Amino acid sequence: MKLGLAAAFLGATLLAGTASAADKRWDGADDLPVNPLACSAGEANAAPAAKPYDGGKPANATDKAGKSITLVDVPKLIGIGYFNATSKGMQEAAKALGNVTVKTDGPTEAKIDEQIKFIDNYITSGVDGILFAANDPVAIAPVLKKALSKGIHVVGYDANSSPDAREWFVNQAEFNGIAKSMVDSMAKEAGEDKSFAIVTSTFTTPNQARWIAEMWAYAQKCHPKLKWLETVEAQEDNNLSFNQATTLINKHGDKLAGLFGMTSVATPASAEAVTKAKLCGKVAVVGLATPNAMKPYVNADCVKSVVLWNPVDLGYAATYVMRAVVDGSLKPGATSVDAGKLGKLNVVNGSEILLGSPFIFTKQNIKDFDF
Amino acid sequence: MTAMTLAGTGADPRRRLKVLASQEALLAIAVIGLAIAVGLYNPRFLAARNLADVLLGNAYIAVAAVGMSMVIVSGNIDISVGALIGVLATFSGTLAVNGAPIVVAWLAALVAGVVVMALQGVIIAYLRIPAIVVTLGMLSILKGGLISVTGGKWITDLPDSFHLADIELFGLLPFPVFLMILVTILAALWMRYSASGRAIYAVGGNAEAARLCGISQPRTIVMVFALHGLFAGAAALLYATQLRVIQSTVPPNLELTIITASVVGGVSILGGVGTVVGSTLAAVLIAEIASALVFIDVSPYWIRAVQGVLILVTVIADILRRRRMAGA
Repeated sequence: MKLGLAAAFLGATLLAGTASAADKRWDGADDLPVNPLACSAGEANAAPAAKPYDGGKPANATDKAGKSITLVDVPKLIGIGYFNATSKGMQEAAKALGNVTVKTDGPTEAKIDEQIKFIDNYITSGVDGILFAANDPVAIAPVLKKALSKGIHVVGYDANSSPDAREWFVNQAEFNGIAKSMVDSMAKEAGEDKSFAIVTSTFTTPNQARWIAEMWAYAQKCHPKLKWLETVEAQEDNNLSFNQATTLINKHGDKLAGLFGMTSVATPASAEAVTKAKLCGKVAVVGLATPNAMKPYVNADCVKSVVLWNPVDLGYAATYVMRAVVDGSLKPGATSVDAGKLGKLNVVNGSEILLGSPFIFTKQNIKDFDF
Repeated sequence: MTAMTLAGTGADPRRRLKVLASQEALLAIAVIGLAIAVGLYNPRFLAARNLADVLLGNAYIAVAAVGMSMVIVSGNIDISVGALIGVLATFSGTLAVNGAPIVVAWLAALVAGVVVMALQGVIIAYLRIPAIVVTLGMLSILKGGLISVTGGKWITDLPDSFHLADIELFGLLPFPVFLMILVTILAALWMRYSASGRAIYAVGGNAEAARLCGISQPRTIVMVFALHGLFAGAAALLYATQLRVIQSTVPPNLELTIITASVVGGVSILGGVGTVVGSTLAAVLIAEIASALVFIDVSPYWIRAVQGVLILVTVIADILRRRRMAGA
């Protein structure tokens, strides 16, 4: 039945004769507008339409510009490698700044009700600022607004809240930034004129669909000879991802020079499929993944680039942003903020600070991360 | 049990055997026919490598379906098996990364599987609580417990020797495929020729007649669940050792795939009828269809719809067959 539909669609397309293959987005991409970045670092990026500041504002905050401040960091949960890394970055920033004390405390499970209790307790005990990574963007808003109403500064990182419940949010990566890193890595590893396939969760998963759309747009612009073969769905299932990647390898044979893994499940499973097929070095695997799951493949030289962001830098940036807010150097309408060793970070989407280009884990640096 | 009124009593055993044989023959024909059809569309499908990969990646489903078939033949059902496989995989992997001898990590999964399933068997058989209720409860306990204990944290850094699924016997036959064939043959022979194996059919087909023949229904049910736990443990090991990462979550819809393999394999959902040869062939067929959909450029999401059609067709055929027999 599906075949019949596909044939009918193909026939209709041929009859129409106008839609060229290049105009059609890859399967799994959404239909939202795309904004591909410049091909080389030197060129200027097209500026997205400026959006006015939409963050909140603390009521009658005590002016502590230049004075020492005490912060609390309440991540989604504590005790896991990822938030240990953000916490480490905050301590590094506190040390570099010299006038910030930051303590990480939070639930041991990623539960929003627990997280709200922790934040509420710190509002009562009194801190100058709260850093958070929300377990739920909407449910966390009331307690954050309460903090603002008590004159406490609020900055988010990693997982956002409704914008008006915090002042700024440090955004670890934008879709077009991830897309550029992924496609550039693939073109470099597989070859500019080679073919690749994509393993994603489902065609309608919002983040993955956004990334694929931006990857398509960036590839059209900067790597036009790179050829997309197909996208397969594998949900967030380890074994299904492995089976799907294996099927792609068997189906396309020598034609397949690369696999994109769009989830932290699909990427290690694709790498495993390539390893089992003894095609390391012949089929490049590029994808989003966490370092621990990828270490075996990166250390075995089967995978060269794992795209994500650096959570240590994320925590570091969040602390610098908080300091800048307290000092008054980051105000609504600002276009950038100074973040110590990370340099100047840009303001995007009204009240977000972009961490910068995604981080690429390689054989050299992957051992430094544990999450 | 509802099966009592429908099955067993009136049927001519030779005729039933013939019907059963045709179910398995039908599946074998479907497996081969589909391979040829897809091979004509895309010859790469028939490459030895691809056919081996189809079996290799799905052998754990066939192994679990052997136990599931026994459970269904005995007139019960188990919907906790997918969750149990997730828990056992995590359990075994946790032991392995914490330095337990690999053999201990493997055996622990088998033993824990037997314990959990035998416990369910005891509750079902001796407290006379329907299997669907007991296993639904266990499903929730295992699923919730796994997330609570692990926090969803993946297990990485597994020792290389842990990877049972990577072993190739005689440098040729992958261990999962070997295990699938071995388990199927042994279970089929046991169910067909041993007294305890026949007892499963008796209990599932006509519990009252079984009792009159001196077969203990509760003991048979506990035995079936304990064996099913052993196979679930073996399936969990294949599942856990295929990749370098254990997700510490319950694999989505795995129990449905396993039950589908049993039912499509000709195991009657009403109990008393079916073989593990059928369920293994059905597991192979389902895996083959999933791979074939990619080869003929159809979304693998259709696999669910295809599975659904297979289930409905087999169950309707089974019911009609029973009605005809009951009426004869």
